[in-house]
Amino acid sequence: MTDEMNRRKFLKVLGVTGGGAATLAGCSTDQVEHLIPYLVPNEDQIPGIATYYASTCRECSAGCGVHLRVREGRAVKVEGNPDHPVNRGRLCGRAQASLQGTYNPDRVRQPLARNADGQFDKISWDDALGRVAQAVSSANPDNVWFVTGNEGGSFDRFVDEWLAALGSSHRVVFEPFAHEALRHAARQVFGVDAVPSYRFEDAEYVLSLGADFLETWISPVEQARGFAASHGFHEGMGRYVHVEPRMSMTAMSADEWIAPAPGTEGLLALAMAQVILADGLGRFPTDARRLENTLASYTPDAVAARTEVPAEKILRLAREFAAVPSVALPGGAGTQHPDAHLTAAASLLLNYVAGNVGTTVVFGADQNVAGGSTYTSLRTFQETAVASAPDVLFIHGANPGYATPAAGAAFAAAQQNASLTVSFSRFVDETTAAADLILPDHDPYEQWNDYTPRVGVRSLQQPVMQPVFDTRQTGDVLLEVARQVGGLLARRLAPAGDGATYKDYLQNQWRRVQRDLGDRRPFDEFWREALQRGGVWGESPRRTMRLAASAATLTAPGWSTPEGQFTLIAYPSMSLLDGRGANRPWLQELPDPVTKMTWGSWVEIHPETADGLGIAEGDEVEVTSPDGSIRAPAYLHPGLRPDVVAVPFGQGHTAFGQYATDRGANVYRVLSAQPTEFGGVSHYAAVTVQPTGAHERMAKTEGKRRQLGRGIAQAVTLAAIHEGEAHPFHMAPAAEPPEREEHILEEVAEMQREATEYGPYAYEQTRWGMAIDLSQCTGCSACVVACSAENNVPHVGADQIRHGREMHWIRIERYFEGGENGEPLEARVLPMMCQQCGHAPCEPVCPVYAAYHTPDGLNAQVYNRCVGTRYCSNNCPYKVRYYNWFDMSTPEDPRTFAWPDPMHWLLNPDVTVRSKGVMEKCTFCVQRIRGAQHQAKLEGRALTDGEVVTACQQTCPSNAIVFGNLTDPNSAVAQLAADERGYHVLDGLNTTPAVTYLQKVRNLVEP
Amino acid sequence: MATSVSPETTGTELPQPTYGEITRDIAATLGNPSRGYYILFAFVLTVLAGGVIALLYQVRYGMGVAGYTPPVMWGVYITTFVFWVGIAHSGTLISAILYLFRSAWRTAVYRTAEAMTVFAVMTAGLFPLIHVGRLWYAYWLIPYPNQRQLWVNFKSPLLWDVFAVSTYFTVSTLFLIVGLIPDIAAIRDKATGWRKQLYRVTSLGWRGTDYQWRHFTRAYLYLAALATPLVLSVHSVVSWDFAMSIVPGWHATIFAPYFVAGAIYSGVAMVITLTVPLRKVFRMERYVTVRHFENLSKLMLLTGMIVGYAYVVEYFIAWYGGNAFERASFWNRAFGDYWWATWTMIICNGFLPMFLWFRKVRRSIPALFVLALFVNLGMWFERFVIIVVSLSYEYEPYAMGHYTPSWVEWLILSGSFAWFFMWFLLFAKNFPTVSITEVKEIIPMPRRNEASA
Amino acid sequence: MTRRVWSVLKAGGAIAVATLLVAAGAEVFRTPAQESTPTMGGYEAPVDVDTAGLPGPRQPIFYRHDIHAGQYEIDCRYCHYAAEVSFSPGLPTVASCYGCHVIVGAGNPEVQKVRDAHTNGVPIEWVEVHSLPQFVHFPHMRHVVNAELECQQCHGEIQRMPQVYQFASLKMGWCVSCHERSTYADNPERQVTTDCTACHY
Repeated sequence: MTDEMNRRKFLKVLGVTGGGAATLAGCSTDQVEHLIPYLVPNEDQIPGIATYYASTCRECSAGCGVHLRVREGRAVKVEGNPDHPVNRGRLCGRAQASLQGTYNPDRVRQPLARNADGQFDKISWDDALGRVAQAVSSANPDNVWFVTGNEGGSFDRFVDEWLAALGSSHRVVFEPFAHEALRHAARQVFGVDAVPSYRFEDAEYVLSLGADFLETWISPVEQARGFAASHGFHEGMGRYVHVEPRMSMTAMSADEWIAPAPGTEGLLALAMAQVILADGLGRFPTDARRLENTLASYTPDAVAARTEVPAEKILRLAREFAAVPSVALPGGAGTQHPDAHLTAAASLLLNYVAGNVGTTVVFGADQNVAGGSTYTSLRTFQETAVASAPDVLFIHGANPGYATPAAGAAFAAAQQNASLTVSFSRFVDETTAAADLILPDHDPYEQWNDYTPRVGVRSLQQPVMQPVFDTRQTGDVLLEVARQVGGLLARRLAPAGDGATYKDYLQNQWRRVQRDLGDRRPFDEFWREALQRGGVWGESPRRTMRLAASAATLTAPGWSTPEGQFTLIAYPSMSLLDGRGANRPWLQELPDPVTKMTWGSWVEIHPETADGLGIAEGDEVEVTSPDGSIRAPAYLHPGLRPDVVAVPFGQGHTAFGQYATDRGANVYRVLSAQPTEFGGVSHYAAVTVQPTGAHERMAKTEGKRRQLGRGIAQAVTLAAIHEGEAHPFHMAPAAEPPEREEHILEEVAEMQREATEYGPYAYEQTRWGMAIDLSQCTGCSACVVACSAENNVPHVGADQIRHGREMHWIRIERYFEGGENGEPLEARVLPMMCQQCGHAPCEPVCPVYAAYHTPDGLNAQVYNRCVGTRYCSNNCPYKVRYYNWFDMSTPEDPRTFAWPDPMHWLLNPDVTVRSKGVMEKCTFCVQRIRGAQHQAKLEGRALTDGEVVTACQQTCPSNAIVFGNLTDPNSAVAQLAADERGYHVLDGLNTTPAVTYLQKVRNLVEP
Repeated sequence: MATSVSPETTGTELPQPTYGEITRDIAATLGNPSRGYYILFAFVLTVLAGGVIALLYQVRYGMGVAGYTPPVMWGVYITTFVFWVGIAHSGTLISAILYLFRSAWRTAVYRTAEAMTVFAVMTAGLFPLIHVGRLWYAYWLIPYPNQRQLWVNFKSPLLWDVFAVSTYFTVSTLFLIVGLIPDIAAIRDKATGWRKQLYRVTSLGWRGTDYQWRHFTRAYLYLAALATPLVLSVHSVVSWDFAMSIVPGWHATIFAPYFVAGAIYSGVAMVITLTVPLRKVFRMERYVTVRHFENLSKLMLLTGMIVGYAYVVEYFIAWYGGNAFERASFWNRAFGDYWWATWTMIICNGFLPMFLWFRKVRRSIPALFVLALFVNLGMWFERFVIIVVSLSYEYEPYAMGHYTPSWVEWLILSGSFAWFFMWFLLFAKNFPTVSITEVKEIIPMPRRNEASA
Repeated sequence: MTRRVWSVLKAGGAIAVATLLVAAGAEVFRTPAQESTPTMGGYEAPVDVDTAGLPGPRQPIFYRHDIHAGQYEIDCRYCHYAAEVSFSPGLPTVASCYGCHVIVGAGNPEVQKVRDAHTNGVPIEWVEVHSLPQFVHFPHMRHVVNAELECQQCHGEIQRMPQVYQFASLKMGWCVSCHERSTYADNPERQVTTDCTACHY
């Protein structure tokens, strides 16, 4: 189907609006716009008013609940579902960008079939279904394979039943980051194959053995919430120690970052357990005594040498850990070395002896991390496929052709052997590119489905709008195939007769759910309520754990590299995860929280190491392992052991659309295909690093890495606060004007009032303000994507980033402290957006009042008045004004067009799409402020505190941002602004910002 | 300055020309252009075309085609704007101020200087337009009554610029034209063909009656008086574009005098750069003499020293003021990424002019010419350093960046020179570049000698 | 130049200046259209089959506002159902047209078009008459509910328009001219906002 027809269909559901990315091309009353009304009235669609539908985010295994804001029949924004137990209304950046998957121009728009000369032809659905049915019915059932990702819900069961009905048992679940090590460890220590839930909020001491629990590990948003509750500043706030050779974003939030020898985190944990056990520190269960012999050999002194962590430090950690409610986290995908299962096991033992199992480590509420996927099962398939060619191979929701060692070479070979490969993928990724048939599935937001993020939580998905393209839900496709194949398959799967759809199947599943919950109401009522809430959830079950016999057989983890080689750490990218986010421009452009790199790969090298190898930042280096080699520019990262280099997953796609293809390097190429003992891929490798001589200007958004003593991102120690010394650093003596100058200031204010009729500067009614608690901000950058989504911020691409022309209205500044001559390295983050200054330097210099002050204290930017002198940006000390260097909003300029059809359906109709040559900036989501004011006015009442929520605040997983009226003394923001930790950035300039930052609090060890 | 030149020193080494000779010689410069002239003109037009194309390209695709790298939001364009406004200054200085001071030596060079002024302002005036993101809305900077209650922001220095520059353009143009009237009349009587028509119109019916002479001298005097304060005001206003901001390295009270001195400095340098070849080509050694150049070079030495002093003061205050940002900014100027630009500026503007202390250098035309070229270069870099380098190193460390101009900017920059020389070439061939009238005035005659001084 | 020429010039200049001032004054002090209190009832819509002669863009269906709103006095909000709750006034669905025209208007070719649209499920593509650039956000509900304005004040005597044309300029000056001389209904002291971000964001 052509784009034109797409647009027509879109307009049909669109109701009243011009639609599309109309641009800021002056008053355009002369051009003919058409108004297309609905055919039939749509109960819950009023033009100009948003409707919200509950659904579930399927970007990773966490399964957060979402609300989709739908305007005129199209979803324009994703926001968290406040009721949902996993994320409580908050979301990460990947979820915020999920609609760029829905509206991605590279989606498969109709069924495709590979023709003789290897190209894809467009075919009809009937044709496609016919071909599949024909192949299935002629296939030997035992030779039909089905590879899926983590479906984790009714569809998971549906596929199994479908295969069973067909007579096949060859179901392979494949998730790249399946945390096999964690499950293996649980089996070894407790004899259960499960990943527990970690209750950060109940812990006062967090020890992470390399788990990036604020980025990608298991359920980042939920964990960020718990971590903020535990480690955010309050009386008796917790301490957080991170043990990992590399300083990840998660580690940046740590009070203490310990970089042991690679692969020895577990050893450290064992030593701590040994101390706790030997000194009888913990409140451990009696049977923990059984471990004494096992642990006896791991005294601090014994492990100090191998871990390169001093014995007394280990001793100290053990004491601190046992003293308070604590939690130890096993390693994540970023520390998945061949002995990762031992690290995980050690962490479980440590938790056990410290009496945390059952309190902060809760089995029963087991996490659905990867739907039980293991790398070995995929290996088995690959070997069988090479031996006996599969008749039909189905692939849904997985991309093993990319996300396995050697960049999926083995899988590709197996796929070649299959006589027919049917992919249900929405995109032509590496695996799908090699398929014979593509039957595109609906986007998660277009389909009926459900997902179970963890035991006790069932989360629903519903179609929130018309499908964008001519796609079909895979469930329905499989049902139709069953019907055409007939026989047992049809009888088993379509009991409700020919009309039965996957939705019926889903509802049948939910009838069972209702029964299990003992809910007596009529099903429709139950169903409607579930849909409205976004699912059903109750108290999550708990299981008490006892040590299994095998726990005592624990051995010491370790890792070693040959002399002269480095340990390569391949870690999951916070924004792209395993690479599935690589075709979302917002995620590609989202700066990595640690390196601030965008749109590509890089190799993190310690500055000293780089000196030794004669490598400067931006030099291309070749990283070679026995299994292969990759090339990428070097990034000099001080937060790294000198004997380690690190490369993120996610880039180096050979297919997967215009934004992902041929960008960066796929680190899987250097990883060994040999499964580890725990049945996963080793993300560690012994490598050599060689400069290739090439050099490139890095596409990163950081300017200087150090604050130059300017007190931008400030921190204070807990001790100092307790001594009442939380005196924020001020760049100049207190801003109190001397008496003789006060009248002058008043006169100036008076002159300002007279000079502009646009409201008094005295804030009689309202002054909008914001407070950001740096002790809660983790730098996860969800706010950045949320802001882009709310405010139609375009992406600009790598070349423009190299020119420092990124457009993000809010940016996360990352500064390094210390790290030199012996003192520990510290990293600080600070969200920087327009400070909405009271005395804004940008305002007086604008010759046309495009930048001016609103009566309610905003630094407004009137886009259609701006002529683009850019003086305001020169004069802005915070550098938070962004200029449209090119026209990102019109197709006439394909080089810079940011909204290729249908991406422009994503545009927020409440916000002007800026055009070439105008300055733009954050205005505290003024469209939301005005919207709320209109609503209040219609209801004849005043605004209440917390009624206006900015996009960044709404999504912040750790609840670091508070917004409200500063002139109302009872508002939350006003009280935070008066906090002793509060400070304004560059306050000495007397710009009187409306944004108050609360110092980060570091819970350091008293010397 | 005025006292340094007394009537008896205005004589020349060459034998005194008679009134007749003067008219003839100067009128001769308007003879049919040589082949060289046309080649030169064609070259200039080509370069100009390049600039125009670059500009159109920029308007079509956006400012992004220039090398701007935030936080450096102003680059070559504003640098060049200030450069040309600066050039424009010595013209009025020489013609107006020296006229009021009755320093007779100006007569030989003031016409060139004035023409240069007008054309320089015409060039400078283009750059604010080239530099704004939405060129087609630039007229919003002009206050005009409208129903939308929209008005311009008179607090913004950019707006002061609009008025300062346009005023200066008007006055200096008037000044040039008025000064030209008697000369045009003089050559009108020699000229033939279409030129005669042109001069007949442009001489505004000048017949040289004493009635007209009385009005002429009076008008000229008033205009001179009117132009004089502008010399100081215009570039002060331009300097406030920077001084009024809070950018470290911009926010300094010294800027107004500093810029004015710099302007005159660069202006004089440009006068020399133009006069030297002109004098050669038009064989006017008899009128534009070494002494004129020596006086110009003295003027250049003086202003050069003021500029040099300003440099020193800037750094001293940055240190003495104790403002951390100011200090960092100036440290970055001297030793940061842009050290080369800074040192080019310091050497060209601060050290090289010191050679002018030597009479030998002052009286050697080639040496002066080379020196003037260096000063022009240095003054361009001065603006580059002040604008770009300051912006690249402001308050927010995370947001610091490095800017390098793109080919578009270079093309437009060279285009601006082409635009300037196009006008100058046209002028030089169609109007007397040395004032016939005033040269006649200063030919020493016993009576005049007693009368004057 | 002679005295006469000079005086002529002076006179001319004076006239020029005067004209300018008058023009500017007219711009500045121009008041918008008179508020109209349409007298409904008993109005007989003219028979009018040819749209060519009428002002306003020609619509796919010759829908007669003067018949529906004028003659039959159907409340504007019956069709423009969102005007009191939303930025957008809302456009009637084909179904709601059909609701009446399933019965009335048989034989009228224009009505037949509506019926066809409904039966074939093809939406009617009306030509937009009142359109604002996308950098302006005009809240209908505030003007209808809070300001209690008559639709006609901005849209003109719709109930007399066989074919709708743009009545007001809808340019910013027109908006402001009203805002600056109006006060809030619930607070007569306070002048209606002329803050830019009331409409531009």
